[in-house]
Amino acid sequence: MSEEKKVKVHVDKVNKSYGDNHVLRDISLDVMDNEVVVMIGPSGSGKSTFLRMLNLLEKPDSGVIDVDGHDILDPKTNINKVRENIGMVFQNFNLFNNYTVLENITLAPVQLGKMTKAEAEEKAKELLETVGLPDKANVSVNSLSGGQKQRVAIARALAMNPDIMLFDEPTSALDPEMVGDVLEVMKRLAKTGMTMVIVTHEMGFAKQVANRVVFFESGKIQESGTPEQIFTAPKNERLQTFLSKVMHA
Amino acid sequence: MKKGLLTVLVALSALFAVFGLSKNTASASEPNYTITSDATYAPFDFQDKNNQYIGIDQDLLKAIAKAAGFTVTVKPMAFNAAMQSVASSQADGVIAGTTITNDRKAVYDFSDPYYKTGIAWATAKNSKIKSLSDLKGKTVALKTGTAGAEYAESIKNQYGFKITYFSDSDTVYRDVINGNSVATFADMPVLQYTIKNGTALKVQNPKDPFAAGDLGFAVKKGQNAELLADFNKGLAIIKKNGTYDKIINKYLDAKAETFTGSAKDNSTVWGILKTNRSAFWSGLKQTMYLTVVGIILASLWGLLLGVMGVSTHLWVRSLSTTVIYIFRGMPMLVLAFFLYIGIPALTGTKISAWSAGILTLVLNEGAYTGAFVRGGFESVDAGQMEAARSLGMSHSRAMRKVIIPQGLRLMVPSFINQFIITLKDTSLLSAIGILELTQTGTLIVTRNSQGFRVWAIVAMIYLVVITLLTWFSNWVEKRMNA
Ligand SMILES: Nc1ncnc2c1ncn2[C@@H]1O[C@H](COP(=O)(O)OP(=O)(O)O)[C@@H](O)[C@H]1O
Ligand SMILES: [Mg+2]
Repeated sequence: MSEEKKVKVHVDKVNKSYGDNHVLRDISLDVMDNEVVVMIGPSGSGKSTFLRMLNLLEKPDSGVIDVDGHDILDPKTNINKVRENIGMVFQNFNLFNNYTVLENITLAPVQLGKMTKAEAEEKAKELLETVGLPDKANVSVNSLSGGQKQRVAIARALAMNPDIMLFDEPTSALDPEMVGDVLEVMKRLAKTGMTMVIVTHEMGFAKQVANRVVFFESGKIQESGTPEQIFTAPKNERLQTFLSKVMHA
Repeated sequence: MKKGLLTVLVALSALFAVFGLSKNTASASEPNYTITSDATYAPFDFQDKNNQYIGIDQDLLKAIAKAAGFTVTVKPMAFNAAMQSVASSQADGVIAGTTITNDRKAVYDFSDPYYKTGIAWATAKNSKIKSLSDLKGKTVALKTGTAGAEYAESIKNQYGFKITYFSDSDTVYRDVINGNSVATFADMPVLQYTIKNGTALKVQNPKDPFAAGDLGFAVKKGQNAELLADFNKGLAIIKKNGTYDKIINKYLDAKAETFTGSAKDNSTVWGILKTNRSAFWSGLKQTMYLTVVGIILASLWGLLLGVMGVSTHLWVRSLSTTVIYIFRGMPMLVLAFFLYIGIPALTGTKISAWSAGILTLVLNEGAYTGAFVRGGFESVDAGQMEAARSLGMSHSRAMRKVIIPQGLRLMVPSFINQFIITLKDTSLLSAIGILELTQTGTLIVTRNSQGFRVWAIVAMIYLVVITLLTWFSNWVEKRMNA
């Protein structure tokens, strides 16, 4: 990394416990502007908890988290404003069941005064075009397949013009034939230079898109590096075990 | 949508306030007193075929008021409620065929006796029971709070009978006639009147009443001395000028039909319906009025409790839980009495029966509504809230735009159910004297002693209204889901 890049997300020594369960142990990680960070690791290792901490859906017990220069743990920080710039995509889509596809996408920008209704609808239609669902604007979300739902969810997050996107296992709840469409949308998004933090079990996708891969295990970052370093020359023993399991699965 | 709701709310509150504050409008010169009375105690207090409250008490009171120069606003209700209202300063005086007893003298000041009476006991017409000793092991039906009841209690151990209580006379008579109980004790003139009116009972001691005593008009102890003095003054006047005798004879000598309408009109469902058309109609209107206002206010209150129940603040959640716990756990009748009689006794501020009734409905039905509203919100998937928050919406905006609309949809069947329960629960408010459909039924039965037919009519009216309400609710539900 020769050119000087801006740090988008700065995490320093965060800890989190649920009762006796010490889920995150002294985790530190910086995410640069335009960087795509993929987090892998066995289930229960704390990946979701960490990701959800970046927009404060979970609160750490200690540590520092700066997003876009805002100390989000400072009670004086308006977390809603910070969240407007952080899109999040969930494993279970979480589309709003009481709205149509178009309304799902326009709700937040209009409600939060980012755009007029007309502007938001214009933007929503463009986004639906990009995610490959131009004709689904006015249908109920319940009529969509899983893959379609997840692409709408991505469009919904993008409608706020975020500069960071968080993905928590976006393809884990999908039928195998739907996975490709969603990954395709994410790849294109990565190419536009979006800063992304992605939790996934899709190793092929990680190899292709990630600037950096981070291996979580037992609430710790055990190893991180470029895709080549992680997948072809893993040093950490647990990473080696993990990879041998998922590659043969 | 939001504005519309607000307008309705404001309008209703205004309505509520007007009704809540409406007091007896005193005429300029003469003092006006609020007098409670028993609604179902013929021949002392009952409704005639034109739904006017008449009877020995009513006529005497009017004549006395006129003679002594004061005016009265009469509020007929259940006997106990009538007595309690005075004890709690809700009303100034009570005339309800009340026997003067030492127990009552501890709480009330009594007028000079206005009628001599005694306790009679009666059995079903063709009962084998002939003497008090035949009552051993049997059940006796009594009207709550009456002198007859007090007397029966006093000899219960001596004769070894059991006791069951009802709050209105006709139910007591029905119970004896139907054989659930074998006898009743009540004031002699009351029993004689109802028997004359066709109730199949027989007085066993027509010549020698027990515990002969006096009826008196009562005020709260130490209060309304002027009213009491005026009453005594008026009573003396009308005894002297013959009005008193005229009134007594009018009720005890006249044929019952004079007051109750012809036997023909009272012996068929159609006849009863026709004769009492306006009474049923106004009772139904009052029931509908209570139901509609009750449903709207209870739903709003329940929604508020439900939203509070999913608040991010612990103390707001706890407040909601506590309110729901208290008012869901309290029997509605207890709540109604507490609000109408208990609170005013403590604070000295009057509350109209209607306001107390509505408040009872709102607190009770609102607590149930609050519980299912909170449940409805909680059953909306947590991911919906997270998604909304992750987009930058505040908790309250996420609630309004995402959680509440989805929760409400889940709650529609519960709301419909609660509406029907509210309609049925309004009948309990008859206990604090609100003249709704059930109370109307009670009054008509007191007059014509046609319990079976009248209650069949009342039941039918409820069923029709509930059916209409169900249809309407289902229509709304369909439209909401469209
Ligand atoms: N809300 C919660 N309450 C209690 N324990 C939790 C909660 N969320 C996660 N955990 C626990 O934290 C650990 C890490 O979970 P998670 O971050 O979801 O792991 P991953 O996403 O890597 O599978 C697990 O042991 C999980 O059971
Ligand atoms: Mg996870």
